Amino acid sequence: MIVDYLQRGILAGVVAGLAYGMYMAFVANPLSEYLHDTQHEHGHDEHGHDDHGHGHGHGEHVHEHAEHAVSETTTALVSIGSGALWAIFLGGLFALALYVLEPALPGPDGIKTYVLAGAGFISVSVTPWLVLPPAAPGAEQLYSIESRLAIYVALIALGAVVSAASIAAYRRTATRHPAIGVAAGAVPIAAMLAVVPSITPTVVTHPELSSALVSAYRALAVLSQAAIWVLLAGTFNWLQRRADPATAVDGSHETLTTKQ
Amino acid sequence: MRATNDTVSSRIEIARAELTPIQFATGLLFAAAIAFVLVFLQEPLAHDAMHNFRHAAGITCH
Repeated sequence: MIVDYLQRGILAGVVAGLAYGMYMAFVANPLSEYLHDTQHEHGHDEHGHDDHGHGHGHGEHVHEHAEHAVSETTTALVSIGSGALWAIFLGGLFALALYVLEPALPGPDGIKTYVLAGAGFISVSVTPWLVLPPAAPGAEQLYSIESRLAIYVALIALGAVVSAASIAAYRRTATRHPAIGVAAGAVPIAAMLAVVPSITPTVVTHPELSSALVSAYRALAVLSQAAIWVLLAGTFNWLQRRADPATAVDGSHETLTTKQ
Repeated sequence: MRATNDTVSSRIEIARAELTPIQFATGLLFAAAIAFVLVFLQEPLAHDAMHNFRHAAGITCH
């Protein structure tokens, strides 16, 4: 059974990966290169193309102007491939998590996958972004890579805890009325969205880009990652229905017992 | 086992019963290999080649 789940998850990852690869090819690659080039055109001399920071007097700032080890074509192709593999990777993790956690997720079968996808999106993307928002090319970072990675991992854990708390709150209160459950489930997430950005410093700045451009870039990152999760859950549901039409209506529990 | 007894721990038990130790070891080894590749991707050449993806996906390690 776990193998069936993994198979569906990887297949769903392939579907989402194709879509995300197309997005990388037609939207993200040209946009990233455009942003990169505009900043180089009116770039100042102190923004040397090396890793050794720049002459701003802020030694701890890490500057982002150092990607000339490979050609633009290579970058574009590898970025497309990475996007596809990223979705496949998420699909595999999603399937394994769904296999283990499915009994603990609320809702009917077609909804459980979306609940888990939402929890995944909140854990993997949204929570880390509250402190480390998506950075457009040319961003200046307050912290070093090592500390950012540590923050990132810690925030993924926080996101998972908040998602679990939200689902637990829903399950406890939804017996009275589903709407109360949804409201209770929204509380932990809303609290996190409100508290975390307000107690953490701004660690990413874009001194050379307009704020509207940065907002648009971030909105694209948020929407494209959310789309990956929706595609994963939707494709997984479709594959599950296709594999087992009889149990699609009232759950896969029957399959589970007959296969025992 | 009845449908109402489907719990997280029962899922783990089913997986244990279904998978042979060799399959389990294969999975773990593969996961370790993936983790190793992720570390290797920090190398400047691979890292730079993924530049657009890392920015577009909002992945922080850049």
